[in-house]
Amino acid sequence: MEKQLDPVIKIQHLNKSFGSVHAVNDLSFQVRKGELFAFLGVNGAGKSTTISIICGQLKKDSGEVKIGGNEVDQKPGDIKRMIGVVFQDSVLDKPLTVRENLESRAALYGITGKEFDKRLEELSIILDFKEFMNRQMGKLSGGQRRRIDIARALLHKPEILILDEPTTGLDPQTRKLIWSIIEKLRVSENMTVFLTTHYMEEAASAGYVVILDKGKIVAEGTPYQLKNQYVQDYVSIYGAGEEQIRQLGKPYKAIRDGYQIQVQNTGEATKLIVEHQELFQDYEVVKGGMDDVFLAVTGKVLGGENP
Amino acid sequence: MKTTLALIKRNRKLFFRDKGMLISSLITPIILIVLYGTFLANIYRDSFLSALPDFFKISDKLVDGTVASQLAAGLLAVSCVTVTFCVNLTMIQDRASGARKDFNVSPVKRPLIYLGYFFSTVLNSLMVNLLALALCLGYIGIMGWYLSVADVLWLILDEILLVLFGSILSSIVCYPLKTQGQMSAVGTIVSAGYGFICGAYMPISNFGSGLQKVLSFIPSTYGTSLLKNHMLRGVFEEMEKEGIPTQAIAGIRDSVDCNPIFLGKVVGTGWMLAIMAGTIVILGILYLLITDLKKE
Repeated sequence: MEKQLDPVIKIQHLNKSFGSVHAVNDLSFQVRKGELFAFLGVNGAGKSTTISIICGQLKKDSGEVKIGGNEVDQKPGDIKRMIGVVFQDSVLDKPLTVRENLESRAALYGITGKEFDKRLEELSIILDFKEFMNRQMGKLSGGQRRRIDIARALLHKPEILILDEPTTGLDPQTRKLIWSIIEKLRVSENMTVFLTTHYMEEAASAGYVVILDKGKIVAEGTPYQLKNQYVQDYVSIYGAGEEQIRQLGKPYKAIRDGYQIQVQNTGEATKLIVEHQELFQDYEVVKGGMDDVFLAVTGKVLGGENP
Repeated sequence: MKTTLALIKRNRKLFFRDKGMLISSLITPIILIVLYGTFLANIYRDSFLSALPDFFKISDKLVDGTVASQLAAGLLAVSCVTVTFCVNLTMIQDRASGARKDFNVSPVKRPLIYLGYFFSTVLNSLMVNLLALALCLGYIGIMGWYLSVADVLWLILDEILLVLFGSILSSIVCYPLKTQGQMSAVGTIVSAGYGFICGAYMPISNFGSGLQKVLSFIPSTYGTSLLKNHMLRGVFEEMEKEGIPTQAIAGIRDSVDCNPIFLGKVVGTGWMLAIMAGTIVILGILYLLITDLKKE
């Protein structure tokens, strides 16, 4: 149980600049083994720069980046074997078939011949792509392509799976399918999942969330902690008159068929309902979401920077 | 080794599935044959006949065979190098498509990735150029065949050397390029200029002495000369049989660059082979060093 708490990624005082642009500014955080870690920020917040440094594609200016206890600059080969990356856009070869793509990528890790056949069989079952194994990548649907991108990242059985906006552009059903696969893998293989996403409901199911703005951490914690710290709850009440609501002495606003009363937390909502039972006949308590957290800490809407 | 083989296989598949790249590579030698036949054949013929004394009469077949062999040697010298620039596109395409990002997150060493590009370029270019050689031999067969089996084998070896040279040269030149636009610009420049520099369009002996000295330091000069020596050997033998004086034949050999001069000394075919092989090895080491040390 104690091993579960070991940080598999440990970043301390990380800095990276491109000319006068300070892309990553004194960044420190850690990711525990087997955790679903969400890394949020608008475009240009420093997410991709941090991921590139973790993957050994970019050199850091200063600070410490340890993967599995090893500094990234010192054992890049070992660290790259620990990491599987699903890029935002598919980077597999469109003219080649699924099998040909995975075969060429597996060879990059020294996985060839029967060893490759065995791994391909395993992955085709986990990710359910047997039926289009011999189809060209360019002819697959968005969801099918994403499954193959994930299969490519898992070829060498990595300990850490980095997902850079893995479900962007996918329909809700496919998003759900992709997430059920990732979650299953995370639990069954005790794999650490490092996620960047524009979908707040995906971040809400993370074990830990770091929100980045202009290269700096502006908030971090579990989704529960963040929601409690940064957003308020609402009680929506139906069938009551405005005068009755005003008398409660809480900020409120009119909504369709009723009013929405702002409360600090669920405890305050419970107290209010218990004290005014005659009024609360038809109501619902709505907790603030991760969207509200993001808006509260950055003043920006995630995904809103995209047209 | 297995990684490089897998990458070669992948690059070759990408080449064959990219119809545009495949067709443009295959069409290059055909275009060259048409251009050479249309624009240079008469010039070569006139030049050859003017080099012979007026009283001398030789068979039309020998004249045609000489001209065709000279054309074919020049064509193959150009084709072996320019085709590699058409074929070596995967390196650039991988950067544009993001595939290199994928390679870079894997533990594979960078020189292995680049050896994959190099060897797939060599194999694909050889395929195209051996086809060009077959076409050229067919053309010579129609015009006037004086080649032995040994000559043909030597020609294949010359082609392999020139393709290796072209592949390594294109790999080094293309290494810093990021887009297909840059690559096609380089390809155009090479296609336009290389034929003159290596003495394929016009024999270097026609140029001024200063330029001849400069070109004698360029290894490709000897690659072209190798092809000319092996392609024309049978023709010169036949000339001797038809009674053309040895001095006149030597003059023709000099005029078509079969006896290139380096620092005042004639370079023999053995040395030409050594120069080409040495150049390939040196450029190969340079390529590996660049890919290992120089950050992209």
